[in-house]
Amino acid sequence: MLATFVLFCIGIGAFRRVALYDAFLEGAKEGLQTAWNILPPMLSMLCAIRAFSACGLMDGLCALFSPLLSWVGLPPETLPLMLLRPLSGSASLAMLKEILDFYGPDSRIGMVACVMMGSSETVFYTCGVYLGAAGVKKSRHIIPCALIAWLFGSLAAGFLV
Amino acid sequence: MIQIIFGGFMVTSLLYALVKGEGAACVSAMLAGADDAVASALSMAGGFAFFCGLINILKKAGAIRFLSRLLSPGLQRLMGPSLPDTALDYVTMNLTANMLGLGNAATPMGMKAAQAMAQGETATNALCLFLVINASSVQLLPSTVISLRAAAGSASPGAIVLPTLAATLVSTLAGILSCKLWEGKS
Repeated sequence: MLATFVLFCIGIGAFRRVALYDAFLEGAKEGLQTAWNILPPMLSMLCAIRAFSACGLMDGLCALFSPLLSWVGLPPETLPLMLLRPLSGSASLAMLKEILDFYGPDSRIGMVACVMMGSSETVFYTCGVYLGAAGVKKSRHIIPCALIAWLFGSLAAGFLV
Repeated sequence: MIQIIFGGFMVTSLLYALVKGEGAACVSAMLAGADDAVASALSMAGGFAFFCGLINILKKAGAIRFLSRLLSPGLQRLMGPSLPDTALDYVTMNLTANMLGLGNAATPMGMKAAQAMAQGETATNALCLFLVINASSVQLLPSTVISLRAAAGSASPGAIVLPTLAATLVSTLAGILSCKLWEGKS
């Protein structure tokens, strides 16, 4: 799957006469920069999340909503990630890392969490940036509809994995 | 928002831990978290840079323009005929850049699209639809998640690509549908 994708990228690049090495180098540089920029917010949120789970509150929260989540086919352990996803990109990334480290990336919980992460964006941030840029104050049905999309995406993650 | 999440987690956990008499354990968990974040950011940086390199080759090969041409007719029908051509261009460019995971290229396009579609301080139907599609994520290759999986020692980091694509499709469709229903109602 990934190997085909890699070959596809290189092949298209070669076909369109792209300077392959230069283009890859430029992208890799940007990628490292991004990874470096992600680190401070992710570190901060991971500290907070670790504190929350070390004192037992995380388990309590999951246990509380466990019947509801099991009923819709989602592992209760993914609840914190689901709730954080629309609120903050760095918090949900840190939460995903926590889940992958704890339950393993190839477990069902880990897979559902990964799909959940990719099925939605940081709703409030995205809308805030664009509405702010356009000077729009009345956002009408944007937030409710975006949250409906988020809900369906999260449910789909449980259904598809 | 992030202030509330961070503060909320910190204050409730520390208070709760102190009441239980486990303050020290709570703080050492925080420190372990900071440690882990650095380690995992370092180990995922390599994979992430690799994907960004590949995607940049696609970008240089004209992938944004190619995908835009594919998407443009459908988007025009979806957003309505009253949408000005420049706005439609910005919308397609933003969505295709997002599909490729080129956040840096996508954001300025999205801002221009939003500016072109806003009417004063009220969001138009087209702007609502655009932001809902945008917020429901349309990324073709979730490179951050793949890199994170690889860093966590997954046997097959790419296994989530197809299910993620399907879930993203579900969320985008649900968003579009709810927007259309809302428009019909008001």
